[in-house]
Amino acid sequence: MASLFEGYEALSRYDEMFDAAHQVRSHWQGVHRLLDSLGSEALRARQSDIDWRLEENGVTYNVYNDPEGLNRPWRLDPIPFIIDADEWRGIEAGLKQRALLLDLLLKDLYGAQRVLKEGVVPPEVIFGHSGFIRSAFGHIDSSVAALRIYAADMARGPDGKMWIINDRTQAPSGLGYAIENRLAMNGAMAELLGEVHIHRISGFLNAFGTMLRDLAPSRSDNPLHVLLSPGPYNETYFEHAYLSSFLGLTLVQGQDLLGKDGKIYLRSLGGLRRVDTMLRRVDDSFCDPLELRSDSRLGVAGLMHAVRERSIAMANPIGSGLLENAGLNPFMGATAKFFLGEELLLPQIATWWCGQRKERDFVLENLSTLIIKRIDRGEGKHTFIGAQLSQAERLQLRAMILEHPYRYTGQEQVTFSTTPALGEGGIVPRKAIIRSFGVRAEEGYAIMPGGLVRVGSQTDSLIVSGQSGGGSKDLWIAGTSESTQEHYIPPIVSTADHLEHIPSLRAENLFWLGRYLTRSIITARMIRTALKLSANLYRSEQRFSENAQSAINRALTHLTMTYPGFLDPLTQRQSLGEIRSVATDARRLGSLAHTLTMLSNANAGVKNLLTLEGWRIFDRLERDFGLFSRAKNSSSRSLANGLEQLVTQLMAYRQLIEESLFEGLLLYRIGERIERGLLVVSKARALLCSALESQVQNEVLENMLLSCESLNAYRAHYKTVLRLENVIELMLLDIRFPKSLIYELSELQALLQRLPKSRDARYLSRYEESVFAAFSKLRLYHGTKTLEAVGDVRMEFDALLGEIGALLAACSNELGKTYFAHYDE
Amino acid sequence: MTYQIYHKSTFYYQQLVTFSHNLARLKPRETPFQKLASWRLEVAPEAAMRECFDDYFGNAITHLLVREAHTALEVTAHSQVTIDSSALQAYYDTARAHPLSVAEALTRLGVNDPALIDIKQYLFPSVMVPGAGEAIRLFALESFISQRPLFEAAMELMERIFEEFTFESGFSDISTPVEEVFEARKGVCQDFAHLAIAALRALGFAARYVSGYIETTPPEGEEKLFGADASHAWFSLYIPDVGWVDFDPTNNLLPLEKHIVLGWGRDYADVAPLQGVVRSSGESSVGVMVDVRSLE
Repeated sequence: MASLFEGYEALSRYDEMFDAAHQVRSHWQGVHRLLDSLGSEALRARQSDIDWRLEENGVTYNVYNDPEGLNRPWRLDPIPFIIDADEWRGIEAGLKQRALLLDLLLKDLYGAQRVLKEGVVPPEVIFGHSGFIRSAFGHIDSSVAALRIYAADMARGPDGKMWIINDRTQAPSGLGYAIENRLAMNGAMAELLGEVHIHRISGFLNAFGTMLRDLAPSRSDNPLHVLLSPGPYNETYFEHAYLSSFLGLTLVQGQDLLGKDGKIYLRSLGGLRRVDTMLRRVDDSFCDPLELRSDSRLGVAGLMHAVRERSIAMANPIGSGLLENAGLNPFMGATAKFFLGEELLLPQIATWWCGQRKERDFVLENLSTLIIKRIDRGEGKHTFIGAQLSQAERLQLRAMILEHPYRYTGQEQVTFSTTPALGEGGIVPRKAIIRSFGVRAEEGYAIMPGGLVRVGSQTDSLIVSGQSGGGSKDLWIAGTSESTQEHYIPPIVSTADHLEHIPSLRAENLFWLGRYLTRSIITARMIRTALKLSANLYRSEQRFSENAQSAINRALTHLTMTYPGFLDPLTQRQSLGEIRSVATDARRLGSLAHTLTMLSNANAGVKNLLTLEGWRIFDRLERDFGLFSRAKNSSSRSLANGLEQLVTQLMAYRQLIEESLFEGLLLYRIGERIERGLLVVSKARALLCSALESQVQNEVLENMLLSCESLNAYRAHYKTVLRLENVIELMLLDIRFPKSLIYELSELQALLQRLPKSRDARYLSRYEESVFAAFSKLRLYHGTKTLEAVGDVRMEFDALLGEIGALLAACSNELGKTYFAHYDE
Repeated sequence: MTYQIYHKSTFYYQQLVTFSHNLARLKPRETPFQKLASWRLEVAPEAAMRECFDDYFGNAITHLLVREAHTALEVTAHSQVTIDSSALQAYYDTARAHPLSVAEALTRLGVNDPALIDIKQYLFPSVMVPGAGEAIRLFALESFISQRPLFEAAMELMERIFEEFTFESGFSDISTPVEEVFEARKGVCQDFAHLAIAALRALGFAARYVSGYIETTPPEGEEKLFGADASHAWFSLYIPDVGWVDFDPTNNLLPLEKHIVLGWGRDYADVAPLQGVVRSSGESSVGVMVDVRSLE
């Protein structure tokens, strides 16, 4: 049998597995032998096991503007990247030194600025960098470590040494993926681990947890740790959700927080809770719309105040993005001497900063061979590969450099080492970059003996990043016998599952999930009813049907609030066009398509509570609806079929929600009941409050019952022809009938009583008062004399329904004020 | 010279606001030439919390948390400021007499001099002055001939903006880019200050934005109406050995005893008198009323 590695040719001067004589390097030998004996088919089977595991665990990353949609599957290569433990010791020492150095530099730049005053670092590198957050100046405590988390990108240069490529100091991503990669490898590639002793990562994870816990001021016995995420549309949201549950942090977004009197609070269902520490995944300048970027929707106003008061501890502090600065590279050596009296242990990519005359001239002369990087990432493009630029682009870049020279650096274009990876046609060499993680421990920094390796998607790919495709690998530090079993101490169990502790934004999303899902289903059914009626127009006597149809059409307009809609008599003549628009035009507020968009937002906000199956159903539902709503000139029939399918999918989705939500189900149910109540009121006002000729009335009543899925119940119960009084009784007043309004109100009261502020309360809360009033009004309603019409309208009855609708809306508002906004506390 | 200044900024909201964070930059700075005799800030509805702090540029900021339901927020500063005009006059005399040339000044700014670290802040593009096109640079270059004294060149830049640009309110707002102002040759005081700053930075000088007030006088024989003034803005240039020197291109004046300094920064964004964050879907608008009265 041919070797798996036959034909494998290292494309760069250094290959990780093979030396120059094409001999397997000693620390790879066990793995090489085992891979070879597995053979290519078995290896592919392992790959598919890994894919399956990652998919089942929902490991994804988001690519902006990706036609394939959000949530790309994460890819992990079955072959690890192995570094020998002896070499790693040196790398580890170098990373520790660099983290320590960057910590000292950070505190100095936001305080004494000795490096500037003593000429170690030119001020342009700092003041010209968009990451210098002036509001943070003087507010980074220099008596303790400021840089709590550090990440570095490294790659092996042609000299065989690991080089530092980038520092990541603001909110480094990748740790969650690295952990998940390790767990996936433990499962799928277990026998490799028998061949090679590797360092375990649990010690590092414990150090990470300890760092977060130690951050909290000793204020409280039960400190609240949060992970601040930009939200579900962020590229690494999976990781935010993953790390928060792994580390026992409460996952929040800016809108969950409230800044008040120099402190930060989490709005949760039980009220405001003071936040003690924050693991931050929102970039510096987006953290506080009051004092930093005013256009940010990701932060919380008052956070800088809390920073000034030192009432919140952050990893990493606001302002740390300044260190992600290519302009610092040429001065790191001098900085190491200045602060530590040491030489830098790890080499970095040769970098020329254009703020100096000589260096600038060198960069300009060598534009076609260097990589040009802005010192900050700023807006727009920040990395230019000289060799790939056209003459015109090069001239433009030259002008940009000359205009603001201090903003640019030139870096040597280096050919990094290759490492074997499983490709389409067998094992192929790929370029790789390692992201390593460090965390501040009691004594200096603890470095993760592992990391996230990203590989290029093609052999010649220079840029290796998640956004450009490619895949990942697990990093193994191999070669010692000291390896022990993974022993990760799980965090203090997160309390986020208790009803009181559900963050308000999530609670609000759950509530609206209930409302929008219900509204989507009822609207879709109502549209279908209207559609059928307009298709069957000539079935019976035209005049009556036409009147019944226009009543149903008007009810559709009221139900969706797509005014003027069918209230405009002219629209009645283009019935089908209007119905289609109410179904598919997402730009129209109240349309089914618009409601589905709102549902989609609520779905995204609670996604981490749902099962994978739930996500899939929702994705498919959105895709299918998108397809049929974009279809031009579709027949009424295909529209009706599309609606039918949508309702089926929505029902399946609802089923899964009800099965997978736990404490949060209460909010969902409350939203569902309120919405159902409101929509029954809306239909009843549109269909039951006008005096109609008996034959028209008959048809309208039938359709009212049909759209409420209650026609059979009516027939079973009354065994007579349709009568207005009976329909009112069944749909509104009969407390034994689960689809009646009174039943909804009664159930709603029971649900509201379970909310934190109602449990054990002596009196009704504001939100309960209005439902109680609505319930009482309806329960006390009897007598048909109010059904008398004044002119065409049953005024008294309509007024009653109007009041009930208003009371339900008031309940929804009061719930928002009490549980979601918390401004009054 | 002593002035009584009244400055009311109002936010009007379309919807009821029950919780808002605001930053007021309404406390005049003290300088070697300007003393603040008294100052108080009225907030209506009253703020539940006030936090006073100095920002990075040394301006005094009042952070207000308003928690009463309101549809308008009024923040009014009452300041009494005394200006030592003879000391200021002497400072300008020194600046005027300083022979440092344009070229020499650029050399001095290019050196890594610890004394200049704070000055270097003002060399770089900022949010509202992100840079200047070639046209603006060339416009400024006409006045900044290498061997000319720097002060004289800046005087001429001020004069030329005054001569060649028309003061016209309503054409621009605070977000109008300087290029557009330069093209149209018209704008208001903020625009002229931003334009001069953009031009000076494009040449390699440190320039900052000064916000403040100017005393206006009514036409001969008329009574001055209350609230007839406005906030004002001008630019300041760093002249090595002398320090920061202010120029008012809107009035073609060296700010002496009629100008009162409120604060300074890289551009308007650093010194906006009132800014706020509310959680509300509605729009908001701003109203301003200023009165500057001499007490002598």
